[in-house]
Amino acid sequence: MELTQTESGERTAVVGCSGRLNMVAAPQLRSYLTDTINGGRDRIVVDLSETTFIDSSGLGALIGGLKTARQHGGDLRIAAPNDQVRTVLRLTNLDRVLRPHDTVDDATRGW
Amino acid sequence: MPPVAGSYRLEGLAVPQSLDELHQLLAQVAVDHPDVNAEDLSMLETATIEIAGNVVEHGRPAGKVIYNFSLTVADDRLLGVLADSGEEMAEDPDRSAPLHTAESGRGLLLAQAVLDELTYARTEEQNYWTMVRVRRG
Repeated sequence: MELTQTESGERTAVVGCSGRLNMVAAPQLRSYLTDTINGGRDRIVVDLSETTFIDSSGLGALIGGLKTARQHGGDLRIAAPNDQVRTVLRLTNLDRVLRPHDTVDDATRGW
Repeated sequence: MPPVAGSYRLEGLAVPQSLDELHQLLAQVAVDHPDVNAEDLSMLETATIEIAGNVVEHGRPAGKVIYNFSLTVADDRLLGVLADSGEEMAEDPDRSAPLHTAESGRGLLLAQAVLDELTYARTEEQNYWTMVRVRRG
């Protein structure tokens, strides 16, 4: 998995996550999100358009990032997940707390 | 030539890199069997990675567990069997959904949700997880 910060504002960061988000990659994403939020950008969009696969560890990293962002007064949103990611979110009921946005632009609307 | 049923096998040490090998195996199945519905294969892959991830993370003695995965593409189903040489796994008796804010504890629940059948068995020397995804497409 590769992480990129494709766009940033004063409080906003768009984190691109390409490849497989499984138990190997999840700690890397978790750490990256924590560092980004602690660095002052507490409005995070995780761009999943290049994420090919997610498992429960990856979901845990996203939930961890969401909690950290909210503790800092911000939020974490996800954008452009593929069918596998959408299905996994739905089957775990996490789409209620991590509602998928179709695009990064949709996700950042209102910020 | 019409697609035919096929079997695949993979074995090795249950370490994090094994997950990549399993992903690659599933990708090969997709190439060999374009008739298999992409969602069916994707859901079997999801379950396989969850169960294998459990073996990698919790298998004891750590770093010394040998796994053996077999996958069969049948006309009506995809069958995956993951065996490992680790100590008997304490099957998580609680398959209820964790809180929305929980950062772990969804693996078995997710594997069960994407499959039509998930069973665990223990022989004298191995753990066996059997995964069945009935083909929709």
